[in-house]
Amino acid sequence: MEEKLHIDWLTVGLYIIIVMFGAVNIYSANNTLEHHFLFDFKMEYGKQIIWMSASALIVFLVLLTDFKFFNYSAYGIYVVVILLLIVLLATGSFNKGAQAWFKIGAFKLQPSEFAKYATGLALAKFLGTYVIKFEGKRNMGICFAIIFFPMLLTLAQNDTGSALVFLSFILVLFREGLSGWWLILGFYLVLIFVLTILYPSLYIIIGLLLILTFIIFMYKKHKQLIVASILVVTLSVGFILSLDFVFTSILKPHQQQRILVTLNQDVEEYYANKTNGFSFFKVELPKKEDKMKSKRDYSYNVRQSKISIGAGQWIGNGFNNGTQTKAKLVPEQHTDFIFCTVGEEYGFIGSVLFIGLYLFFIGRIFYLAERQKNTFSRVFGYSTGSIILFHFFINIGMAMGLLPVIGIPLPFMSYGGSSLISFSLMLFTFLKLDANRVNELSRFS
Amino acid sequence: MEKSNKFLLIIIFLIGIGIIFSIRLYFLQIVDSSNYYKAQAYGSNEITLNPPRGTILDRFGNLMVYNDALYDLMVVPDKTLETDKYTLSKFLNIDTINFDKRLKKAARYNSRQASIFYKNLPFEMLTSLQEIIHQFPAFYIESKIDRRYNIQGAAHLLGYLGEASEKIVVEQPYYKPGDILGISGMEKSYEFYLRGKKGRRVVLVDKFSRQQGSFAGGKFDSVPIPGQNIFSSVDIDLQRFGEQLLGNKIGSIVAIEPKTGEILSIVNSPNYDPNLLVGQERNKNFARLLIDPSKPLFNRALKAPYPPGSTFKLVQALIGLQEGIIEPSTTFPCAGGYRMGSLTVGCHAHASPLDLENSIKNSCNAYYCHVYRAILDNPKYGSVQVAYKKWTEYLLSFGIGVKTGIDLPEESKGIIKHNDYFVKVFGKNWRSANVVSMSIGQGEVGLTPLQMANVAAIIANKGWFITPHVVKSIGDSYFVPTEFKEKRYTMIDAKHFDTIISGMSMVTKPGGTAGRTGIEGIDICAKTGTAQNPHGKDHSIYIAFAPRENPQIAICVMVENGGFGATFAAPIANLMIEHYLVKDKKAPSTRLDLYNRMITTSLLENSVYNPK
Ligand SMILES: [Zn+2]
Repeated sequence: MEEKLHIDWLTVGLYIIIVMFGAVNIYSANNTLEHHFLFDFKMEYGKQIIWMSASALIVFLVLLTDFKFFNYSAYGIYVVVILLLIVLLATGSFNKGAQAWFKIGAFKLQPSEFAKYATGLALAKFLGTYVIKFEGKRNMGICFAIIFFPMLLTLAQNDTGSALVFLSFILVLFREGLSGWWLILGFYLVLIFVLTILYPSLYIIIGLLLILTFIIFMYKKHKQLIVASILVVTLSVGFILSLDFVFTSILKPHQQQRILVTLNQDVEEYYANKTNGFSFFKVELPKKEDKMKSKRDYSYNVRQSKISIGAGQWIGNGFNNGTQTKAKLVPEQHTDFIFCTVGEEYGFIGSVLFIGLYLFFIGRIFYLAERQKNTFSRVFGYSTGSIILFHFFINIGMAMGLLPVIGIPLPFMSYGGSSLISFSLMLFTFLKLDANRVNELSRFS
Repeated sequence: MEKSNKFLLIIIFLIGIGIIFSIRLYFLQIVDSSNYYKAQAYGSNEITLNPPRGTILDRFGNLMVYNDALYDLMVVPDKTLETDKYTLSKFLNIDTINFDKRLKKAARYNSRQASIFYKNLPFEMLTSLQEIIHQFPAFYIESKIDRRYNIQGAAHLLGYLGEASEKIVVEQPYYKPGDILGISGMEKSYEFYLRGKKGRRVVLVDKFSRQQGSFAGGKFDSVPIPGQNIFSSVDIDLQRFGEQLLGNKIGSIVAIEPKTGEILSIVNSPNYDPNLLVGQERNKNFARLLIDPSKPLFNRALKAPYPPGSTFKLVQALIGLQEGIIEPSTTFPCAGGYRMGSLTVGCHAHASPLDLENSIKNSCNAYYCHVYRAILDNPKYGSVQVAYKKWTEYLLSFGIGVKTGIDLPEESKGIIKHNDYFVKVFGKNWRSANVVSMSIGQGEVGLTPLQMANVAAIIANKGWFITPHVVKSIGDSYFVPTEFKEKRYTMIDAKHFDTIISGMSMVTKPGGTAGRTGIEGIDICAKTGTAQNPHGKDHSIYIAFAPRENPQIAICVMVENGGFGATFAAPIANLMIEHYLVKDKKAPSTRLDLYNRMITTSLLENSVYNPK
């Protein structure tokens, strides 16, 4: 069978640029004042080069594989990964409390990284099966089950960050028919939740009432809209008050702090603000012994990260010249906070260009997914794009201090074998499917 | 919603993310670029480099105060690593058991805070440790600079150091809590020159507080500038001699070089050893000195005003001459004193009447009662009150009733009462008779020993003085503050001084009030004084300068409860003069009789301050 390789070279080019740029930044984050060297395989960037070679091999194998293989073995791969997660949960090494990897020699295999890939395949397979649409309670239920099963297993490993990534499949479902209202409702609830915790609830209620007054004033004649708005605001106020009550009066101080820390808040500052403003419920200040140890860790990371990025100013300090980077002030800089190096060494201009390039890369994936003629490829393409987007959004937002600290890597950039290999596998699986789009057409027609 | 619309929505979402991230970056990197400066603060540690404090030398370059640096190795026990033990013990020449013992001891004290691990590091150990110590985050070297004094006295002159108070830290941002600065004496008044300028080194530190080299290539580093050495005008030899003579008495000596205003010595007794106020015992010793009833911390020479007694007659005579009340030839009778109605000011037996010169030689009280009353009742002023005001102006020009401006902290301006005081006591129309006791330096007038010595210097200079000062020059450029070069003229013309000086010269010759304390070969011009003291025996006072031609030294000696001026103050002053003027002496004095009497006589038994 003569198959021409119609691979999308633009995406491949972007992929290579991003991976190379990642290695450069890992090198810079590694090459601190303590370690002056040219090359050392023992350092993370040295290992990253090994992972890059491994990824290249995987990519090569994927491209050699017949495209139908992925369709046929989607469920099989899914089952294997699920089994791996279960085995890991049962027998996994109990290091650090989180059991997220298998240790194979020096290589730590993180099945959760591959679970996203497998879930993407399984979801694509299910929705790609002839006549099945994302409609009806049963089919929707199966879709959610495919997503939530590995998600819960990952959550059980205390890997909250990776578990949350599975939420990105909602975007795929949205593309495949899930009503946009669900997305809006979800956003709205999360927004109200965060605002209620961060600010005195009185302010939020006043804000909502102002918006309501505005709507009533502006749309006097749209009775239905006004009724709906009153209903939404009333429900929201109830939600806010009960949330506030639960948070301030039912949760214990250490539980409150855990939430605050996840929301990237300085606990002491929070309590200072909260007690300064008007509050419906009495705020119980945490006792000294209740102060959380990890508070400093998170807020410290984010603070250092923001400082690092800020240090870049317009044009940055240049490659290998970030003083913050050099001083190893940002913990986990070569993994979750790799963007700090970009910010500090390439400045505002470099960072904006980088973000633009990365978003273009993601957009390209969605574009390729959209042009697929069969549902399997399209769903898998959307899965790939959504997962990369979710990682990108959370990771960069976290480094900029916009989003809570959820420790997930920046795809193709952060140091780590499992991450690089699994993302490469996913991307090239899709590119392989895309490359055969033409063949497929010719076969079916 | 159309499916392709959903794709568009996703693309819009992507663009939205890009815009939000860019705006955020704009704020982080451009608008709030102060974060960059904060970054410097977080990512770097500022290490203050303390310069060595300047030393203080005497007028001939003899070292009086210097520094002794001590280095301790400090440890924060909680931060130590197991591996520290093996590497560091080698550098310290101790075995690991000893190492553990020291660590345990430090941890017992406080495991989270630094305490001394190795006290007083030997020099060779220090240099090798300084190179490797940054590898041990739990350890650091702390240097303590201690002042050392080559003299057991002169404490009031030199002063002492102490920690910066909260007030100082707020008012003068140069100082940080824990900084050491001069609290009294020259250490305080010349703090600015002595301290030098702190340097700093900004080092990059990683999240473990480990130093990672110089920050920004050393752009923010500065080298400490050492403090300047100060030459004091004091003669350490004369100072020691004075302390020896006054040692078992209470009182003070101030000696000035008349033509320069330079203080040659300031002796206070009781005194204390300035070495008591350095090192670890400092606070204990300080508390002890503070509660000592003999008040060793009290700087009598500058802060205690005494009635000047008969030494004041010199000033009265000069004012009388300037005002035209008397002439050198003016005589007044004395029949055992001065009588005016019920008021009597007694006098001792002497020939009568006396002219001005002899009134000084004999210290006649009656003569000065006449002079002072004539000054105050001078018809040209219309009233006693106006004449009195004029009289006080003369005193102010002598540096009496006003701070002399000496370069030492805490000086008393002495005592001069003004009209309103006498109005309160004697009524609105008080008369010259009410204040006649001031004519002989008793009553409502008080001078510090410094002011009295300055009067002697003014007479030596025939009418002017330079603000007395203890500094000779500052630093390598021998800088002298301009205020210590300017002549300050009194309101007395130079021509009036000759008679006074020849009278003073007669004081130390046979027949004068201090005739038995003269020194062979030195023409000492002097005046004795005896200040009545309501609390006990009279104070013995003496002011003098010598030699008569081209005076080199002016002096005031005040011995509390010493009786007549001639008894203690005169011998001590004359011995000091001799000691200063005669450079190659074999014995302590040609007047060994006086010398031995002075150093063997103790007046402490009679003192109200007697510590026993
Ligand atoms: Zn007389």
